Amino acid sequence: MAVNLVEKANDIIDRAQLAAAEFQQYNQEQTDCIVESVFRAGFQNRIKLARMAHEETGMGIWEHKVIKNVLATQLVYESIRYEKTVGVISSDPRTGITEIAQPLGPIFAVVPVTNPTSTTMFKILICLKSRNPIIISTHRGASKSCAETVRICYEAALEAGAPEDCIQVISSGSRDFTHMIMAHEKIALILATGGTGLVKAAYSSGNPAIGVGPGNVPVYIDESADIPFAVKSIISSKTFDNGTICASEQAIVVMESMEQQVKEEFQKQHCYFLTPEEIIKVGNIAVVAETMSMSPFIVGQPVSVIATKAGIIVPDGTKILMAKLDGIGKEYPLSYEVLAPILAFYSAHDYHTAMNICLDLNYLGGLGHTACIYSNDESRIMKFAGLLNAGRVLVNTPTSQGGVGYFYNHLPPSLTLGCGTGGKNITTENITAKNLINIQRVCRRMPNELWFGHDQAEFYDESRTTDEIIHNYYKNH
Amino acid sequence: MVTFNYSPEGKEFTATFAGRLDTMAVQKLSEIVQVNLPESPGTSGDKIIFDLKDVEYISSSFIRICVSIAKQAGTGKFSIVHSQPLIKKTFKISGLDELLNVS
Repeated sequence: MAVNLVEKANDIIDRAQLAAAEFQQYNQEQTDCIVESVFRAGFQNRIKLARMAHEETGMGIWEHKVIKNVLATQLVYESIRYEKTVGVISSDPRTGITEIAQPLGPIFAVVPVTNPTSTTMFKILICLKSRNPIIISTHRGASKSCAETVRICYEAALEAGAPEDCIQVISSGSRDFTHMIMAHEKIALILATGGTGLVKAAYSSGNPAIGVGPGNVPVYIDESADIPFAVKSIISSKTFDNGTICASEQAIVVMESMEQQVKEEFQKQHCYFLTPEEIIKVGNIAVVAETMSMSPFIVGQPVSVIATKAGIIVPDGTKILMAKLDGIGKEYPLSYEVLAPILAFYSAHDYHTAMNICLDLNYLGGLGHTACIYSNDESRIMKFAGLLNAGRVLVNTPTSQGGVGYFYNHLPPSLTLGCGTGGKNITTENITAKNLINIQRVCRRMPNELWFGHDQAEFYDESRTTDEIIHNYYKNH
Repeated sequence: MVTFNYSPEGKEFTATFAGRLDTMAVQKLSEIVQVNLPESPGTSGDKIIFDLKDVEYISSSFIRICVSIAKQAGTGKFSIVHSQPLIKKTFKISGLDELLNVS
C-alpha cells in the first residue's frame, strides 16, 4: 500500500514537473491566453459550481458562493490581467537593474472545505498566470465539486494551449499521502489554506510554503462610530455564506457607555442575545473542548440549525446569535474562532480595557490575520492599528468582504490571506500571482562613486573619529 | 515612581508604579521593590499585585523582575493589573503574559 502511494505521488509530481518544464517556455501572450480561457470557463460555471459546493458540503449559502466564485474568477482575473509575470517585468536604467520573472515549479495547493470551488479557481488562475503547474488537494468533504472545478478549468486551459498536466487534482483521502506530496523534493511551493494542523504540516514539510490558517477577528466599535451603519455592516459580513470566510467577524467590543445602544441596534436588526445558559449550550456544540477548535458540524450552518443542535429556541428570522462574554480563553469557548453566525460580545468600562480585550482576542488564535474598527476618529484608528497584530486592519468595513479585497478597498482580491509571522507566514499580503514567481535581478556594473571616491585607508586608521570618516565619505567636492 | 500598599484583609501587597520603567529606572527600583516585598511571599500566602495604571513604558529588565517575583510567589500569587494596551502588548510579545497574569 505504502509503495503504491509512493508510486502514485511520484507519478503525479513527475507529471507536474514535466508540465513545469514545458510551461517555462511560454511567453506572456500565451500565458495570458490560457488565464483568460480558464477565467471564462470558471465564470461561466460559477452558479453550477456554487450549487455543487453547497450541496456537497452542506455549508454556507449557494448564492453567496456564487459571489465567491465571481471574486475568484472575474475579479481575480481583472486584478492580474495586465500584470507582467513572464520574462522582463521591470528595467531601471538609473540603477541598471532588470527584473526577470521566473516560474517556481510545481505548486501543491490545499483547498479548504469552506470555500472549495472558489479557492480552487483562484489558486488555479494565479498559478497559471505565473506559469506554475498546480496540484490541487481537496478536502474529503468537497472532493466532487473541486474535481468538477478542476475538470472545467483544465479543459479550458488545454483548449488555450496549456501544457498537459498543468492542473491535477488529488482527493485528500489519506493524510499520509498529502504529507508525502507536501514533503516531496520536486514540489516548489505549498499553497495551503486551511486549519492550524494543515498549515503547520505545510511549514514542517521542508518545502517553501505559504500557509494561511485561522483568524479570530476582533471588531471594536468606537464612540465616534455610526452605530446603525456599523451593526448593519457587521451583520452583512457575518451572515455572508454563513460566516465561512476566515476574515469574518468573531467578537464585537464596545465601551459600557455604548453597550445598550449597540445591543438594541443588533436586536433591531434581528440578532439574538443568548442567555447565560444558552451561551453554555451553544459553546458546547460550537467548540470542541479538547482542542478548543470549532466543531465542523456547525461551520457554515444557519442560525436555525445551530439553535436546534444546541437545543435552544430563538426567534424566527434570527440572523446572528450574540454571546455576551465576561472573559477570553478556555472557559469561554465562544471567544475562539467560529466560522458560523455566532458573535461574541464584550463590554469594557473604559477605552484601555476595550483595547486590551481586542488584544487578547487577537492573540487567541488570530495573530496576523484581520482586525476591524468602526470609528470616525483617525487617531483612534491609527492607535488600534498600531496595537493589533493583523495583516489587515479594516476600517468601517465588513471584514468578510473587506479582507478578501476588491469590494470595499484596493487590496488584491484573494482567497488566501497572508498573516505575517504571527500566523507563521512570510507575508501579510493578500496572496496573488506576484507571490508565485521568482524574481531574478540582473545587476549591471555601476560602480558606486561614493565608495570608490573615498580614501579606503581611512577605514584602517583608528585615530580617525566616526564623524570625520562619515564627513569625508559624503564630501562631494 | 513606586508606592506600596498592603491590605491585611485580602493579604494583598500592591506595588503601584508610574512613568517610564526603563533600564535606569528599574535599576533604582529593583532594590526598593525587593526590600518592600513581603518576606517569603509564596509561603506566607500573600498575593502580590503590580499596578501599572500610570506606566507608559517597560524595559526588559522590569519584565525580568516581574518573572523573578512571580516565581518566588508561586502559581496564582502574582498578577499585573491595569496595564495600558501598549504595555499589555509588550507582555504578550514577551510571551510571559500568562505566567505573569497580566490584565
